Amino acid sequence: MTRRGAAHSVRSKLLLGVLATTGAALLITAAAVAYYDLRSFRNNLVSDITAIADILGLAATPALEFDDPPAASAYLGLLRAKPGVTAAAIYAANGALFAKYVPGGAPLPDLPEGDGYRFADGKLVLFKRIVAHNEILGTVYVEARYDLGRRLANYLGILAAVLLASLGAAALIAHRLHRGIVGPIASVADIAHAVLERRDFSRRATKTSDDEIGVLVDAFNNMLDEVGERTAVLERTQEELKTLNAELEHRVAARTAQLEAANKELESFSYSVSHDLRAPLRAVGGFAELLWEDHAADLNAEAQRKLGVIRSEAARMGALIDDLLAFSRLGRKSLQPAELDMAALVDNVFARLRTEAGGERVELRVGRLPQAYGDRALLEQVWVNLLSNAIKFSSKKEQPVVEVGAISEEHEHVYYVRDNGAGFDPRYKAKLFGVFQRLHDGSEFPGTGVGLALVQRIVLRHGGRVWADGKPDEGATFYFTLPKEVGDGGV
Amino acid sequence: MEEYEHVEILLAEDNPHDAELAIRGLKKHKLANNIVWVKNGEQALDYVFRRGEFEGRSSDAPRLILLDLKMPKVDGIEVTRIVKSDERTRHIPVVIMTSSKEEKDIADSYRCGANSYIVKPLDFASLVEVAAQVGFYWLAINRPRP
Repeated sequence: MTRRGAAHSVRSKLLLGVLATTGAALLITAAAVAYYDLRSFRNNLVSDITAIADILGLAATPALEFDDPPAASAYLGLLRAKPGVTAAAIYAANGALFAKYVPGGAPLPDLPEGDGYRFADGKLVLFKRIVAHNEILGTVYVEARYDLGRRLANYLGILAAVLLASLGAAALIAHRLHRGIVGPIASVADIAHAVLERRDFSRRATKTSDDEIGVLVDAFNNMLDEVGERTAVLERTQEELKTLNAELEHRVAARTAQLEAANKELESFSYSVSHDLRAPLRAVGGFAELLWEDHAADLNAEAQRKLGVIRSEAARMGALIDDLLAFSRLGRKSLQPAELDMAALVDNVFARLRTEAGGERVELRVGRLPQAYGDRALLEQVWVNLLSNAIKFSSKKEQPVVEVGAISEEHEHVYYVRDNGAGFDPRYKAKLFGVFQRLHDGSEFPGTGVGLALVQRIVLRHGGRVWADGKPDEGATFYFTLPKEVGDGGV
Repeated sequence: MEEYEHVEILLAEDNPHDAELAIRGLKKHKLANNIVWVKNGEQALDYVFRRGEFEGRSSDAPRLILLDLKMPKVDGIEVTRIVKSDERTRHIPVVIMTSSKEEKDIADSYRCGANSYIVKPLDFASLVEVAAQVGFYWLAINRPRP
């Protein structure tokens, strides 16, 4: 409705504009004309009456000279032809009334005045001396109607009529203008409204002229083209996005199902590994043991050595299976993160390892260890593996030293374990954290090669990183990071 | 049926090598003098409830039942559940033998009412530990036969 109102308002504005312009022009013109006319009316009246007075004076001169008042009266009677003259008189030189003309019976002044005229009570009063041979013979008095009010009223009447006529014409013009200007604008507005309401971008405004409005219509239509095109593209994109989204969700669901299936498979695989693979191994190890117990005396040295290999290798395979299972379990177990006092954890772990892993001689130096956020059991495993490694690889030194500390950086804590033990060849650094990868001889430093892989897996699952520095016989440093922010990584 | 008199341990184990190793381990450490070995859970139940081939055996209940977790027909978990839900046999200590320390196996063992579990092979240390857990100190004593 506001749209209609707006069109209406444009229409009334247009009408008002035309009318105001016309009215103002007319009024100014009328005022100027009236002023000029009234002025010339007055001037004409004065000069008219002056001329009449002159003529009367000339005509009355002989009558005055010969003291013939009836002759003067006769001349005055001629004024009947001039209805505007309401009274006239001729005074003698001594000021006495000589002759008079009073058709309305108006009173005459008692005494004549000097040359001149004045306007009073809607009348022009004029005195004119009659002079002959440088002698004042008398005075002519003329009184004429000076009806300015009536003339003005006439004028106003005419003006009103003209004004009315021109306003009518103006209104007509305004109506025409409305059809020519507001009409096309309103139709543009209608279409804009329809487009907005029904999202129908196929509609176009019709161009009716080549003026600014025509330009407006063209611009509007071009804009509709553009908007329609863009909307179509947008809608298409949205549709595509929707399809893609649905596809993606579908794919995610499928992948999740696959992953779950794979996880289950892995679980049953590792379960069967732990049961079915172990049974024959147990028989090999167990019966080698029986052979050893029951028949060692019957075997020569070489047979005993070979039997020893079977026993120790069977035991090693048992350990490998254990570690491998632990490693695979780690990928499936969900983390249970909590605030952890790393210093207490290290003290605890080291105290246990010192007795278990033969680390009595090892000197432990612990620096400041910031709190961490992670799974207690798993991070304890990290410390166990790193510290037992450090103890193991420094055990052959005269004064083994294991140093534990941390560096806090912007987003993470970097924990490290340093030893002065056997170290490693930095060329094989990349292999350190692989499963079953060993850089040292099993006879020198026993182990399955799963410990560091386990460390890496745990730290990665916590959103951290692991790396190591070292040189042969100069010790090694193992680093791992944990994010400071909760939920910054995989936790 | 003389051989079934004074049975101290009922061993249910389908794998003969595992059974041999277990019997050997128990006897070697003089933990038991009379062991009955059955090859599956069904036989174990027949023995416990004196039916089938064990119908005529003496009414003595075994002092301890060692059950392999995974056996054909009726597995160790099932046997334990039945033994532990019967008024007559509930008091007999049951120990599950597993191949690994898989959490699932351990949880299953305790859930079905087993008194303890033991990881194969049965070595001396683990046997003594289990004996203590189930309250059978006699197992650890070299008891002369009357």
